[in-house]
Amino acid sequence: MLRIENLTKVYGEKKAVDHLTLHIQPGEIYGFIGHNGAGKTTTIRSCCGILQFDEGEIYIDGVSIKKDPIACKRKLAYIPDNPDLYEFMTGIQFLNFVADIFGVSAGDRQERIRRYADMFELTDDLAQPISAYSHGMKQKLAVISALLHDPRLIIMDEPFVGLDPKATHLLKTVMRELCSSGTAIFFSTHVLEVAEKLCDKVAIIKGGKLIKSGTMEEVKGDTSLEDVFLELEDAQ
Amino acid sequence: MTKALFKKQMMESFSWLYFNSKNGKRRSGKGILLYGLMYLLIFGVLGYVFYMMASGLCEPLHGIGLDWLYFAITGLVGIVLGVFGSVFNTYASLYQAKDNDLLLSMPVPTSRILMARLSGVYAVGLMYEMIVMIPVLSVWFFSVKVGAAGIVFSLLIPFVMSFFVLTLSCILGWVVAQISARVKNKSMVTVLLSLAFLGGYYYVYFKASQMLMDLIANAQNIAKNVKNILYPLYHMGLAAEGNPVSMLIFTAIVLVFFGIVYGVLEHSFLKLATANRGSARTRYKERPVKAGSADSALLKKELKRFTGSANYMMNCGLGILFMLAASAALVIKGRFLAEILDMLMLYAGGENIIPLLLTAALCMLASMNDISAPSVSLEGKNIWLAQVLPVSSWKVLKAKLKLHLLLTLPPVLLLTVCVLVVFRPEASFLVLIPLTAVLFVFLMAMWGLFLNLKAPNLNWTSEVVPIKQSLSVTLTLFGGWGIVMILGGVYFLVMKWLIPAVFLMCTDVLMLAANAVLFRWLKTGGSRRFEQL
Repeated sequence: MLRIENLTKVYGEKKAVDHLTLHIQPGEIYGFIGHNGAGKTTTIRSCCGILQFDEGEIYIDGVSIKKDPIACKRKLAYIPDNPDLYEFMTGIQFLNFVADIFGVSAGDRQERIRRYADMFELTDDLAQPISAYSHGMKQKLAVISALLHDPRLIIMDEPFVGLDPKATHLLKTVMRELCSSGTAIFFSTHVLEVAEKLCDKVAIIKGGKLIKSGTMEEVKGDTSLEDVFLELEDAQ
Repeated sequence: MTKALFKKQMMESFSWLYFNSKNGKRRSGKGILLYGLMYLLIFGVLGYVFYMMASGLCEPLHGIGLDWLYFAITGLVGIVLGVFGSVFNTYASLYQAKDNDLLLSMPVPTSRILMARLSGVYAVGLMYEMIVMIPVLSVWFFSVKVGAAGIVFSLLIPFVMSFFVLTLSCILGWVVAQISARVKNKSMVTVLLSLAFLGGYYYVYFKASQMLMDLIANAQNIAKNVKNILYPLYHMGLAAEGNPVSMLIFTAIVLVFFGIVYGVLEHSFLKLATANRGSARTRYKERPVKAGSADSALLKKELKRFTGSANYMMNCGLGILFMLAASAALVIKGRFLAEILDMLMLYAGGENIIPLLLTAALCMLASMNDISAPSVSLEGKNIWLAQVLPVSSWKVLKAKLKLHLLLTLPPVLLLTVCVLVVFRPEASFLVLIPLTAVLFVFLMAMWGLFLNLKAPNLNWTSEVVPIKQSLSVTLTLFGGWGIVMILGGVYFLVMKWLIPAVFLMCTDVLMLAANAVLFRWLKTGGSRRFEQL
């Protein structure tokens, strides 16, 4: 579903991402971990077509994001670490805006908005302007908007930041359900316990380079993901 | 502790002088000096207006023995300006202060926090009030022979009066806070209030001399009314003449009034400072929705951006209002204007350049709308949304152009029809004037977007920065006027060889070419640039 081949992104003289290769299959939850400034966000933003990269290729469902970005964007959903949404809109106006852009039918959008807004307990606040939302509410709205068009690939940057424990639990449940229906999820996180419990596969990045990847068992073996991560960080 | 609180409050109230709103950084010493001088100049210009008013009033009122009325009237103007200048400061620093939680968590008595906050409002009110009172006192000292007591009391009056300004500001600030918490469409209300203020300002500006003459002619009656209705101002006037009893009465009234309001504020400060400041909450009710196209969604988004910001509407869409007003004025007084222009042309001889002048005026008014000029910068931190959604950059840019055209073309065309009906130009101009106006509107829309793509600012903290202080907005606004003036200058160089209709045709061809070039760039290079922002 997502193929990153030799991705390289340079800022000035600094290589933020250095020949990174990753393959994420349909129905997989793929965790992406690394310290601050390791290159996680750069990789994620490149996958979503926000950042233009210097070398390599990214394919979404076999389509190059460089050659046909619009077709790729139709299949994916992105949830950023800091949900800066249109504050001049109300929650429901924003959801309808996103649904219009993705061409979601009136019936489908109403059913999905109802389902996910009820699930994340945001229904009552949908008529409020986004400027009045807390960080957590914005994050919930960003999650709902990402699910409206039934994406085949969901890319998330630190999705659990700002969410309350209940919303975090719900998001994890939704992620599992989506994966069962064949959706691939690629997300970055600093919460290693979550990654360990939730992910089928994991990749560790440091200084823009991939230092370990594979199934959770392959990466952590008999120890915890935290021990492996700290060991690899110290070793490099 | 008190000193630290006062220092913080003064820094907050006058932060506009020390900090650059564009980047949030502290200005250099030279920068502060230059910025201060610029404000001093603005205040000086305003002060001159009040100097003229004071000069017109002082001697006539002194001549009929109503010196106190001079102070009562000018003092009232000072109070109005002081309250106007400080009421929003009160709203922000007393009822909407962002550091209330921080200060309340510290071992500081609430009364001191309140005192510090009020000191900031007092200083701002005094600053505005002095724009009136410095010229008023200067005229007073130069025109009237004042005794020692009069001099001392006159100099003390602005400082006492500022407590009255502070009191009114606290009350009105509370009213603003209550309205603000209940009003749903704040931007529209702000625009309407600003327009009402603008209208009021121009009304007073044009009627000022008549009002002054009426005031002097009816001075005795007005004095009687002021004495009955505005009793404190009567004593303020007498105090300025050197009457110590009146000075005591005036000071006592002001301080008692302030004391009551301060008492109420102190009693309820904790409740005020910790009140839930959210606006009226609307509970969502599901309604049937209609799916729309991506193009219409993007256009609606741009429209919401525009109507959701009073700053955006007032600064980039004011041309709409001016064009509608000009259309109405033409319908009412158009024939009169047409006759005057015809007479002038008859007197001047030569070619009839009225159609050219009308076209220039139309374009000038149309260029007051620069909606597209800050539209890219206004994406700000939301730019990722436009980049991650499955729409081409060109579609996003097209929506910005469409909004400019949709909001500018109807009033331009309405005004053009009024111009054609009222001035009845030759047949060729019935096509050329509307064509030129429409081409110019397209040019301005694309020119603004082009400039904003070349010099975008996505890292603003206040939307005022891209709307008011950006290069693209300035160059679009003045560029539009510049184009009209340059074309006017060119006409005077070539008028021997080109009749107005042919000149306008040439202008249209040039504008068409410029539009084609800009359109091509926006669709290709501009779209690429937007993707890379």
